[in-house]
Formats: sequence, structure tokens, C-alpha cells
Amino acid sequence: MKFLKLIFKNVRRNLLRSALTAAGTMVLVFVVTLVLSILSFLDQATSEKAQNLKTIVTERWQIPSRMPFAYAQSLAEGAPRDPGDVRVPAADSMTWQFYGGTLDPKNRTPENNLFAIAMEPEKLMTMMDDLDSLEPDKAAAFSQVVAKLKANKQGLVLGKERLRQIQKKVGERIKIFSVNYRDIDLEFEIVGLFPDGRYDSSAAFNRQYLNDALDTYPATHGGKPHPMMKGTLNLVWLRVPDRDAFQKVRTQVESSPLYSNPAVKCETAASGISTFMEAYRDLIFGMRYLLSPAIIVVLCLVIANAIGISVRERRTELAVLKVLGFSPWQLMILVLGEALLLGGGTSLLSALGTQFVINDLMGGLKFPIAFFSTFMVSTDAVVWGIAFSTGAAFLGSILPALSARNVKVSEVFSKVA
Amino acid sequence: MSSPIVRVIDVHKYFQRGSERVEVLKGLTLDVPQGEFLALMGPSGSGKTTLLNLIAGLDRPSEGEVWVGPECISALSETRLAAWRTRSVGFVFQFYHLIPVLTAYENVELPLLLLPLSAAQRRQQVLTALDLVGLSDRLTHRPGQLSGGQQQRVGIARAIVTDPTLIVADEPTGDLDSRSAQEILALLVELRESLNKTIIMVTHDPRAAARAHRTQHLDKGVLVDAPSMSHDFE
Ligand SMILES: Nc1ncnc2c1ncn2[C@@H]1O[C@H](COP(=O)(O)OP(=O)(O)OP(=O)(O)O)[C@@H](O)[C@H]1O
Ligand SMILES: [Mg+2]
Repeated sequence: MKFLKLIFKNVRRNLLRSALTAAGTMVLVFVVTLVLSILSFLDQATSEKAQNLKTIVTERWQIPSRMPFAYAQSLAEGAPRDPGDVRVPAADSMTWQFYGGTLDPKNRTPENNLFAIAMEPEKLMTMMDDLDSLEPDKAAAFSQVVAKLKANKQGLVLGKERLRQIQKKVGERIKIFSVNYRDIDLEFEIVGLFPDGRYDSSAAFNRQYLNDALDTYPATHGGKPHPMMKGTLNLVWLRVPDRDAFQKVRTQVESSPLYSNPAVKCETAASGISTFMEAYRDLIFGMRYLLSPAIIVVLCLVIANAIGISVRERRTELAVLKVLGFSPWQLMILVLGEALLLGGGTSLLSALGTQFVINDLMGGLKFPIAFFSTFMVSTDAVVWGIAFSTGAAFLGSILPALSARNVKVSEVFSKVA
Repeated sequence: MSSPIVRVIDVHKYFQRGSERVEVLKGLTLDVPQGEFLALMGPSGSGKTTLLNLIAGLDRPSEGEVWVGPECISALSETRLAAWRTRSVGFVFQFYHLIPVLTAYENVELPLLLLPLSAAQRRQQVLTALDLVGLSDRLTHRPGQLSGGQQQRVGIARAIVTDPTLIVADEPTGDLDSRSAQEILALLVELRESLNKTIIMVTHDPRAAARAHRTQHLDKGVLVDAPSMSHDFE
């Protein structure tokens, strides 16, 4: 394209202004890309899958859900009663028991707080999102950690962020003074780390450890069971092959006489998460329908301002180009091209840069919302970020481009007396 | 000299100034033969630039017709007119109006970008044009690094690079010292002779007009026979 050099030189003409515009664009595109990443992540988490969907079984009427651990065995199978019923294989279920406490009961701070999920270690790599699809080398490394959790029931696996916060190292031992299980203070050995990413702030350990401690509790407490004993099972996750199987399992579970006190419900992970996300509805609504459009509008204005000034400064020059035979639409292309180079080029840089910095250098964006803590910049968000900002650059430059198009040669050169 | 290349036929031009309609050209008729060097003189505000703009296809008359060669340019659409200008007219400005961020070479190349030419063809034409105006050694200079006379030479090179039949110049020496002015005039005369271009030049300088074949005087929107001296030296 023969005009490209001309466009490029125009952008370079006022380097300071172009640089400032580019910097403004970059910041805005950075924010847009992050917001879009979070939104697309949440969309994905709450969109229903057709195949291999995860379901959550929880207490029916109460949040937080607390079911007796006696439910675990049968729930994990999907509560089959008749020979024709769906029976969920062992690898496709997982139980969660939440255990939380502090490292220092005298001085409780957010940093020395620890919240961990008690579960079957082998389920970490079959049932946990992302951990079930690790790249081979990461999978190999993490399966070693899982093996340690199995062998050493006091083992604890942490995300790197969590580890940094409590200022410990792998191999060290910690004692947690429980908050939700009063008097069940567990000592752990940190045996390894979660792979980078989604679980950077998470913690998990072998459920055997918690349940054994609960079992021995009466011996030291005058024969009385622990007050929490009625409800130590918080969630059961089941994986089913398709929606049909989901409906069957759901009917099996919800109609089973085994779970009457308390009653349970079974829903897809997506709808479970959606329900959970209700609390954040306004925040997400704001991000989607206020923040993102506002940024796009601001971007539009930034570009319109820069290009508008540059066109006004160059009215004479544009008139000269017209004299030389540039047609009105060619002048428009020159101006739009300048905006697209400035807006599109920098947004490309910024969006890709954001992805690189957040994903590769920072290992994800810390933005705790619901039970998600870390977000990755998705390729979707990068593509949309670039598309939106290039569109904004285009929109912002339409008016200046039209005014360039309509430059009247006779007006510019006449010395109107 | 041969048949007219430029024919201005009973042209009126009105401008709206506020609520008032100003008639700047009042039924003006003018023929310019092929190969003529015509000077247009007249007091400030008499309509010289307006007339030149009409002839160069930069504006359209309110009434009347303007013909250049076989083309009635007053009837062309704006886009067609733009394409016509690229090939048929070279415009030389009083204040040169080179693009400051482009080199002399790139400035001269600008009109060629609009024509279906290969890079090699463009290069050939740019070098020829710059050679004709004697600036072969200033290709990579920017306008800011050139003297006024040199800038005007670049302006002339840009005007002739597409090999147009017609060159229009609006006070091309108005911003130059007398020596540079003489050089530019000599250049225009030489171009006319060697390339047989038709040149229409607006000027306030009688010495410049003296270099032309013919001088036409404009006063209050009409051509007049005798110069109204009092105005010219106001
Ligand atoms: N686009 C325009 N809108 C309104 N009035 C205009 C416009 N162009 C020219 N005029 C008016 O038309 C008249 C003639 O202008 P023009 O520029 O043709 O004069 P000129 O003879 O070239 O003068 P000068 O010697 O000062 O260059 C002036 O009164 C000017 O104000
Ligand atoms: Mg004038």
C-alpha cells in the first residue's frame, strides 16, 4: 500500500502526542483485556456443557451446605438403588470437606489464615478443573505431590501464593488452629505445590486426616462426638457423561430415602456456580455493561481527540493533497489509517503484552471473586480486546476523517478579507 | 499559437458571506491558447485566486463553464475532478506548501502515488522532475532544510511530475527575494519552452508579468483592458 509510508510519517509527526495517545490506548486496552478475561472465564464456568459435565451435590435448603459424612459413600456413586440405575465410577467423584483455621490463634491475620479442602488425594488429578488436563511434564511433577499426600496423611499441598503469604517453604511443618472445627488442630507437612495458575491461593489435604481426628475426638472429650460431626461433608462432585445421565443421577440422588435429614440437591456445576455467583451479579453486571463500554467510549474519545487535533492542524496540508488530486475518500483513508495504526497497532501490542505479562510473568491475575482467585488472560479476551479497541479507534476517527474529507480547498487558500 | 486549451465561458462565482451573497466573478470569459504563458494581475480581492481555482478544478463556477482541453471540468463530480487534477494540472503555491515530514523526493512523489505506476516508474519520473528544477542533489532534504527558492523548485517539480498540460501558479514568487524570484521565473519560462506547457500565473509583480507572453488584468471580478495602477501598488 503506497499510502502506508505517508500514514506512518503522519503518526510520527508529533511524537509526543502520538506517544501519549498510544500510552492512553495501552492502559485502556490493558484494562479491557483484563475485564474481558474475567468475564469470559466466568461465562465459561457458568455455561452448561453437554458432555462430561460436573455436578455438585449439596445440602438442599441451607448454605453453607453441611451433610453427614455417612452420605459420602453412596453419594459418590450417584445413589443407585436399582440394577438399571446409573452408577458413577469411583474416579468420577470427589468429596470436599472444608477445614479452616489460623497459624497463630493469638494474632489472627488474613496472612496466617489457612483454608483447606480435605479430599481424596487421587481425585486431585481426575476431578479438579485444569489439574485433570495438565501438560505431561507438569502432570508428572504434580502426581509426585499427589503420591506424597496419599502416603503421608498429614501432607498439605498449597498454591504458591498461599505459601508465600504464610511465609513457609515446602518441607516445613505447620500447625493450624481450627476455626470451624474447634479443638481439631491439625499439624501438617507441606509436601508440594499446585501447578501455577488457578490454584495459586488454594490448599488441599487428605480427608483421611480430618476424619480420623474427628473419630478420635470423643476419646479425649468425655465420649462426646465433635459438635460439627453432623455435617462434615460440604460438597460431593460427580462427573457424568452427558445431560441424560445427569438427569438420571439427579433423580436418583434427590429421590433417595437415604438423604432425608438433611435433604440434598443435585445440580450441574455451571448452575451451581451461577447460583453462587448471584451474590456478585451487580459487580459482574457492572463490569460487563458499564465498565467495558465506558472504557471503549473513553478510548474512542482519546483517539478522536488526538486525530481531531492532528486533522485540524493539517487542514492546509490536506487541502494541498486535495489540490494534488487526492480524492475526498483517499483523504479519509489517510486519516482513518492513521487512527487504525495508532489505535489498532498499540492495542495489538498492549493486549499481547498484557497476556504475556499476566500469564507468563505474573502467573495469572489475582482477583478473588467467589471461589475463583486467579484469572488468566484468555486468547479470546486478547482478540476481543484488539477488536474492540480497533473498532473504537475507527469510530473515534470517523468525524475527523469526515472533516478531512470535506476540507474546502477554496476556503483554505483564499485570504478571506 | 494554437487553439485554446483553457476556455472560461461567462463564469460567475458567488460566495456566501454571512447572509450576504458576494459576487466575486461577474460573467468572466477567457481563452488561453495551448503553450501560452499568461500572467493574471489585479488588486487584492479582485478574484484572481478564485479564477485560478476554477481553472484548476479546485472549485466549480456558480454559473458558466470551464473547459480544459476536451473536458468540461465544471461538470465533473468531485471525485472525477480529483482524478482529472492529478493528470492534467500542476499547482504551484505562493507558500510552497510542501509536506514538512516528507523529503524533497517524497514530496515530489506524492501525486504519482495516485497513478497506476510501478515504484521504478515513479522513481524515474521524480528524478527527472527534480533534475529539471536543478535539485538532483537535494533528494533527501526536508522542506525545513531548504531555502525558500529551493522549496519553490520542489513545489514546481511536484507540479510537473505527472506531466500535466497545464500549470497554474498563484503568486509563485510572492514570498521570495528578487533573485530567487527571477530564478523561479526563468525556470517557468524554460519549462514552458522545453516542455510546451501552458502556464497561468497570478502575480502582483510587474517584473514577473513581463516574463509572460500576455498579461490579463482583473478588477472586481471582470477582465479589464488597462491596469488600474493605483490598486496594484497599494
Ligand atoms: N471561500 C470563500 N468564501 C467567501 N468569500 C471568498 C471565498 N474565497 C474568496 N472569497 C472572496 O472573494 C474575493 C476574491 O478573492 P480572491 O482570493 O480570489 O482574491 P485575489 O484576487 O486572489 O486576492 P489576493 O491578491 O489578495 O490574493 C475576496 O473578497 C474574498 O474575500
Ligand atoms: Mg489570491
